[in-house]
Amino acid sequence: MAEVIIDVKRLAKRFPGVDALTDISFQIRKNAVHCLVGENGAGKSTFIKILTGVYQADEGELLLNGKVFKPKNIRESRKAGITAIYQELNVVDDLTVEQNLSLGKEKHRWGVVQKMPDLGKVASILKDLDPRIQLNQKVATLSVAQKQVIEIAKAISSDANIIVMDEPTAAISEEEVRRLFEIIQTLKQQRVTVIYISHRLSEIFEIGDDVTVFRDGKMINTLAVEELNHNGRSQASVELVKMMLGKVVAEHYTPNEIDYQIKVLEAQNLTNNTLKNVTFDLYKGEILGFYGLVGSGKTEIARVLYGLDPFTGRVVIKGKECRLGRVHDAIKAGITMIPEERRAEGIFGLLSIRENIPIMKMSNVLKNKIISRFKERNLAQSYIQKLRMVARDEEQGVSFLSGGNQQKVVISKCLNSQSSIFLMDEPTRGVDVGAKEEIHNIIRGLSKEGCSIIVFSSELPEIVNLCDRIVLMYEGEIRKVLKNHKNIDSEEIMHIITGGKWGAS
Amino acid sequence: MGCIMIKAVLKGFTQKQEFVLFAILVFICTVFTIITPFFLSAYNIGNLLRAVSMIVIVACGGTLLMMTANFDLSTGGNLIFSNIIFAMTCLAGVPVVFALGITILCGCVIGAINGILVARFSVTPFIATLSTWFIFKGIAKAITDNNEIKAGLPKGFDFLGQGQIGPIPMPIIFLVVVVVIFLFLERKTLLGKYSMAIGGNPTAAYLSGIDGNKIIFLLYTITGGLAGLAGSIAASRIGSGNPRMGDGFEFDVIIAIILGGTPLTGGRGTILGTLIGALIVAVIGSGLNMLGMLSFWQLVLKGAILVVAILLNEKFRK
Repeated sequence: MAEVIIDVKRLAKRFPGVDALTDISFQIRKNAVHCLVGENGAGKSTFIKILTGVYQADEGELLLNGKVFKPKNIRESRKAGITAIYQELNVVDDLTVEQNLSLGKEKHRWGVVQKMPDLGKVASILKDLDPRIQLNQKVATLSVAQKQVIEIAKAISSDANIIVMDEPTAAISEEEVRRLFEIIQTLKQQRVTVIYISHRLSEIFEIGDDVTVFRDGKMINTLAVEELNHNGRSQASVELVKMMLGKVVAEHYTPNEIDYQIKVLEAQNLTNNTLKNVTFDLYKGEILGFYGLVGSGKTEIARVLYGLDPFTGRVVIKGKECRLGRVHDAIKAGITMIPEERRAEGIFGLLSIRENIPIMKMSNVLKNKIISRFKERNLAQSYIQKLRMVARDEEQGVSFLSGGNQQKVVISKCLNSQSSIFLMDEPTRGVDVGAKEEIHNIIRGLSKEGCSIIVFSSELPEIVNLCDRIVLMYEGEIRKVLKNHKNIDSEEIMHIITGGKWGAS
Repeated sequence: MGCIMIKAVLKGFTQKQEFVLFAILVFICTVFTIITPFFLSAYNIGNLLRAVSMIVIVACGGTLLMMTANFDLSTGGNLIFSNIIFAMTCLAGVPVVFALGITILCGCVIGAINGILVARFSVTPFIATLSTWFIFKGIAKAITDNNEIKAGLPKGFDFLGQGQIGPIPMPIIFLVVVVVIFLFLERKTLLGKYSMAIGGNPTAAYLSGIDGNKIIFLLYTITGGLAGLAGSIAASRIGSGNPRMGDGFEFDVIIAIILGGTPLTGGRGTILGTLIGALIVAVIGSGLNMLGMLSFWQLVLKGAILVVAILLNEKFRK
């Protein structure tokens, strides 16, 4: 076993209401590429933030080269040789490469630059990494990958020996990924340790030495990639995803009464930057689930159907072809979306429950074209009762409600629009267990009333407990459509969403 | 039972910024009345309301606009331009009522230009409305050579500003009518509701199917039209078209709105608050005038009031 550079010992971090990390222990070997995997909210970023000094741990400790390491801010962790490169890059687009490299390092007196820093070292590192980058080039003209290279060069020149890369390949082309991997190999030769976070499992097998799996704030396992690869790569992917997602059972699933005679929505060959020929049907009374890992294109389908993103292909709603270019078109066609980001996209926090609920279809509370407070109040009270919201009364400001109750306000808002097709993007994200079950029951109730629902979720338990058919996505494509039943094979699902082909299909 | 009701109403009221503002207004009035008893005379109050009417009229539209997190600096330029247009159309022999209509229409056009710049071409409100402020103030000065239009104005010209219906001066009637209309718009119509929604969470509003750009365009146009009305009243009040009047008008409007509890970032606000905000500024001005304070010092005081208003807004954010 090679030398250990970071030893994580029983690390824990709590935020109000959530345990972001509990009892995390693992070791990172020196001069290795150590991958961190896990679904959103599993605890990877919290761990990185503790490592770089953004957060402080509540319990446990980090050992760096055998010594206790407790950075209080990013500067301290930098000093210790740890640099993180985030997706939101810290480069200034309007400056040249050279100006970016020297930014913040100028020697000055009273703000007047006395001497520009010596860029010899960083420039030569940059040249080694990517010779195509010119020092006098504006950063805006570089690709995302090249901007990352600048950050990497900056990190190495400041003697970083641990570089954290947070989803570096999320926004770059395949060829650039190649180059990045070459660079990572070079870094390894220069005795740099790389902590690598990615949602693309194939990358882990390609460049990873070790991998640590996070789930729900816990460390599930840490193992050598080689060991994982023992039974072939596709088996290894399934193993990893299994660890990431945990045990999945469909005990709460009850089939809905679906009218297979009536297609309420037909999507044909939806294609755009992310999606590739997505074709599916939705029947009356059906709950259809879309499942895939982050980046598989679930959210993009919701956005296309709600008129938010451009696409090619056809959408037929209740037998009529629809042009979907604006939200207005979608709502008119009877589609409503419950957005992924509740706070940013769903609620009006400054307004009360009464004011939030009718906003998608104000005609329900108008009397002689004037807003009737009486009608608003009745409407709000009926939804508070129906969805069992916990609120002081209908006048309470929505920003004061808990996550689950806010989500119920968003759902009420959409129910009030009297649509018949609901797109629900992560309907229970950030909601506690009790409210989650209630929201699932609301969704089941909608199907009983004859509405059709498409659930986009990154939580497999949610999908298998709720949906009649499950559409499995991988890299913008539909890989398989499964009919749900009590004993659905979650291993098959995991295999497919990681890009594997199952059986003959 | 009644007692509980009153208590509940009072409780709701004390948590509202309008109540605090109203209390401040009453307090200031009381202080001035004690110092100079003349302050409370019908003559002085009438004067004060006449002077504040133009600010309130424009600020009513401006409040809804600022609820959407937009604002209009061009109202001052619009006011000067409108007061010249009103004088010129009257001079050309157009009956006063039609002249008023034409002027309001011109104001609407200026507002619509702001609206198109902001909503269609995504120019920031500051730049868009600063540009139109310059342009229309400039045009007003250019076409009059910076001289008053006074000679030959028809007889009814000063009715809007100086006339009365019964005992009530016209500007005050305009003020009341506009405030009532906007209270209604704010509380009872989709325009008010959507304005609040757009400012509070633009993304959620968009996803809820609200056409934010349309609303913003409409509000700029309305505010422009109100500036047209205010410009006409202003011309009529001084009995001439004067390209040198209206200095700092746009800021008086914005101060009234902010003091009234509408933040620059939008999402909330009330017409009632704006009305009280405008009155506070006017009362302080009028009271200090009586005490013989130089108007230059009043500028300093206005600045200080604005800072206090912003701090007050922060306090009432929750």
